[in-house]
Amino acid sequence: MIKRFLSRYSFSYPRTIVYMLQSSEYNIHDYLSWYFKVSDFKKVEVRKKFSKTAKGLLLLVCAWVIVILSFILIDNLLLALLLFPYILAYGIIIPLLLIKLIQLPIEHYLLFKTKTKIKNHKAFKIAIAGSFGKTTMREILKTVLSEGKIVSAPKDSYNTPLGISKFVEGLSGDEEIIIFELGEYYPGDIRQLCDIINPNMGIITGINEAHLKRFKTIDNTVKTIYELGEYLDFLYVNGDSPLALDSARKTDIIYSSSGMGTNLVLDAKTDLNGLSFKFRNSDFKSKLLGVHQIGPLVCAIEIALSLGLSMEQIQKGIAKTKPFSHRLEPKTDSSGVIIIDDSYNGNPDGVRVAIDFLKNISGRRFYITPGLVEMGAKTKEVHLEIGKMLALAGIEHVVLIRNSVTSYIEEGLKDNDFKGELIWFDSALEAYNSIPSITISGDIVLLQNDWPDQYL
Amino acid sequence: MKKNIAVIFGGRSAEHDVSIITAHIPIIQSLLAIGSFNVYPIYISKQGIWYSNQAMKSMDYFKGDFEKRLNEKDIVNLSINNGLTILFSGIFAKPVKIDIAFPAMHGTFGEDGSLMGLLRLASIPFVGCDLFASAVAMDKVLTKQVLLAEDINIVPYTWFTKSDWENNKSYIVGKINKFNWPLFVKPVHLGSSIAITQVKDVSQLNNAIEVALHYDDKVLVEESIPNLIEVTLPIMGNNDDLVLAGVERTLANKFFDFESKYLSGTKDKPQATEIPANINKDLIDQVNDLGKRTYKTLGCSGIARVDFLINSVNNKIYVNEVNTLPGSLYHHNWKKMGISNVDLVSKLILLAEERFDSQKDITYTFKSDILSKINRGNKS
Repeated sequence: MIKRFLSRYSFSYPRTIVYMLQSSEYNIHDYLSWYFKVSDFKKVEVRKKFSKTAKGLLLLVCAWVIVILSFILIDNLLLALLLFPYILAYGIIIPLLLIKLIQLPIEHYLLFKTKTKIKNHKAFKIAIAGSFGKTTMREILKTVLSEGKIVSAPKDSYNTPLGISKFVEGLSGDEEIIIFELGEYYPGDIRQLCDIINPNMGIITGINEAHLKRFKTIDNTVKTIYELGEYLDFLYVNGDSPLALDSARKTDIIYSSSGMGTNLVLDAKTDLNGLSFKFRNSDFKSKLLGVHQIGPLVCAIEIALSLGLSMEQIQKGIAKTKPFSHRLEPKTDSSGVIIIDDSYNGNPDGVRVAIDFLKNISGRRFYITPGLVEMGAKTKEVHLEIGKMLALAGIEHVVLIRNSVTSYIEEGLKDNDFKGELIWFDSALEAYNSIPSITISGDIVLLQNDWPDQYL
Repeated sequence: MKKNIAVIFGGRSAEHDVSIITAHIPIIQSLLAIGSFNVYPIYISKQGIWYSNQAMKSMDYFKGDFEKRLNEKDIVNLSINNGLTILFSGIFAKPVKIDIAFPAMHGTFGEDGSLMGLLRLASIPFVGCDLFASAVAMDKVLTKQVLLAEDINIVPYTWFTKSDWENNKSYIVGKINKFNWPLFVKPVHLGSSIAITQVKDVSQLNNAIEVALHYDDKVLVEESIPNLIEVTLPIMGNNDDLVLAGVERTLANKFFDFESKYLSGTKDKPQATEIPANINKDLIDQVNDLGKRTYKTLGCSGIARVDFLINSVNNKIYVNEVNTLPGSLYHHNWKKMGISNVDLVSKLILLAEERFDSQKDITYTFKSDILSKINRGNKS
C-alpha cells in the first residue's frame, strides 16, 4: 500500500505519466480513466516503454517543468511534496492542449495537401472499413491484385487521417490501384476519411463489439462503418458477419465463405498447412488458416475479375496469400510445438473462428488468452461465450491470465462442463514464458489476443 | 500454502555455466509455471561464494558479463541446523526455511555428492540422486569397478593418478600400448566431455594426459569401440518403479564433445541426436534392460542418464558412464516421449519427497548405555 503510494515519488513517475498519454494516443479521456485505475506507477510501463517521439519528449520536458514549478509556487515544502504528483497528472493536460492547438492548423494543412494529391491521382481507390478483418482484406487484395496491377497499400495500420496522409505522401504517382484501410474510433471517423480519399470501391469486412466502450451502442458502430455507403452506390459486404449483413442495402454485394451470389464455394478444407476450395470452376489454395478466410478470398477474386485480371493470375495471387504476423500465424518451435499466433486478434468474431479452427485440429491443444478488451456492457456475455465455445470444442488446456474479465471465461467453462485443465498466470508474459515448460512435441498452442498496458 | 524450494546452481566446477542453464531451463521455468512454489535461486560463484536474489530466477540475469551484477548484499549464509534456512544479508531480511532443495549443479562440488551431503545433514528432501550414487557416478573408474562386480559389460580400461604418472610414466605407457588403439583419455571426475581427447598414436598420448591432468588428479584411458553407435538413456524413478525416456542416439560424426552436447541443435546447426534411436528393437530392449540394471546397481534415485557404446557389427553393448544430473534434465528427450518440463519437474519433486519419507523410517540412532559406563568408570 505504502509502496504503491510512494511509486508517485519515483524518478520515473513523470515519464510514466507521459507514457500513459502516449499510449492513450493523447486522448485525454482515455488517459484519465487509465490514471484513475493505476495504483502502482512503477508497474505501468510493462509491455511497452515510453517512445522518444518529438511530441513525447516535449511533454516530458513540460512534465519536469510542472514538477519544478510546483515546488517554486507552493510555499509549504511538505504541501508541495504531497501535491506535486497530482498537479503533474492533471497539469500535463495544459501543455497537451496547447500542443494540440498548434497542431490543429498544421494537420488541417496536411490533410488538405493529401486530399488534393489523391484527387489528382488517377489510381482506382478501394476503401476497407469494418470492426475486424480490415488488415487481412487489405493484404489479400494487395497480394492478388499485384499479379496484374501496380498496387499500393499502407504497410502498417495507417488508418487515421494523419496515418493516411503519411502514406499518401510516399506514393510515387504511377500506382494503378490504391487500397486504404479506414479506422473507426468515434462516429464520423469514416466520413472524415472518405472526404479525404474519395473512394471508387468499398468493402465492409464485418461489424462487431470492438471499441464498443467508445461507441456506447452497437448501433453507433454500425452507423459509423456504414458511413462508407454515403460515398458509393454499392459496397462489398461480408455476409458471414450478421451485424454487417443486417444493415446491407439492396444494392450492396454480399460475399461469404459460401460464395457470392450464384457462384458457390465447394470442397472447402482447412488444416495447419492452409486451406483449399473450388470457386467459379477453378481450384484455389491459400496458406491462410481457417475457412472463415474464404469469404475475403472470394471477395478478392470477384474484385480482381472486375478489374480485369485473368483467372490464372488470380489463382497465382491467392496461392501467395499467407498468414499475416500475429493473425492465426502458425510457427513450429525447435521442440516441435506448433504455436498459432493470433495475438493481434482481439474481437469476438476472431475468437470464434480461432476456436472453430482449433476444434477441428487433432493433437493436444492449449488456448492462451487474457480475454478481450473494450467490450463495454457486453464484457460478461462475450467472455461467458468464449468459455462455452472452449468447453464445447473440447480444448484440453485453457490458460488464462488473471484480470478483470477472465473469471467470466472460467464461469463459461464450468457452466458447460469443461473437462480439460485450467491453468492460471498472473501476467501474459509469465504465461508465454511457460509455454516451453508446459508443452510437449506435437502440441498446438493458440495465443489469442494481447493486452496493452492500459487494460488491467 | 506454497512450499519454499531452493534451486542450487553454479559452483566451483568446469561445468559451472552448463549448471546455470540447467537451473533455469527447465527447472526454475517449470517451477514458476507450476505456480505452487516460492522459488529461491541460490547461485554459487566460481569462487565459491553463495548468492541469492529473486532476479536470478530469470536466465537474463546470467547473460553477458553477469559477474559484475553480483552484489555483496545478495550474499547469503545457510543454516543446516535442523533444516535448511537461507539467511539473507540486511537487518530486516527474514530468514527463509526451505522445504525442498533442487540441486542443479554439474560436476565437482555439487553433482559429486558434496551438495547432497550438506542437504542430508540439513535433513530436507532434495531432488535427484543421493550422496552415494552421486559420488560413485562422478568417478568414472569407480563406476566401472562397481559395474564390473555386477557383470555389466564395460570397455577395457586402465587408470592412474597424477603421482603415478609422474613416477611410473614408462610403466603406464607400456600398459596403455597393449590396448587396441585409438584410445580415449579422460579426466575421471569431469562430465560434459570436458578435456576428453581421442588419441590415435603414442605421439598424442602425452599431450592428452597432460590436458586431463590439468582438470583432475586421476586419469582414465580406455579403448574406443569400432563401428561405434553411441546411445544414451535418461531414467527417472526410485527403486524398481522406473520410467525410461527414449533411447537417444548421437549423430555427431565424432564423439559427444562439449559442443555437440550443449551448443548444437540450435538454429544454426542441425540437431545432433535422434530420439528414439533408429536401431533394431532387440538392441533397444537390451539398452533399456542394461540401463535399469546400471541405475539400480549404482543406487540411483530421482533421475540419471546412462551412456552406452555399441559395436554395430557384433551388436555388443558397453555401459560407458552414468550421469546423475543430466544437462537440463534431458528435457528435450522427455518432451519427445510425451512428458512436459512441468510434468518432469513435478515428478522429480514427488520422487524426492518419497525417498525422504522412506528414509525417515530408517533408524539412524541407537540407544546405548556406553556413555554412562564411561562416567561410572571415571568415578571408580
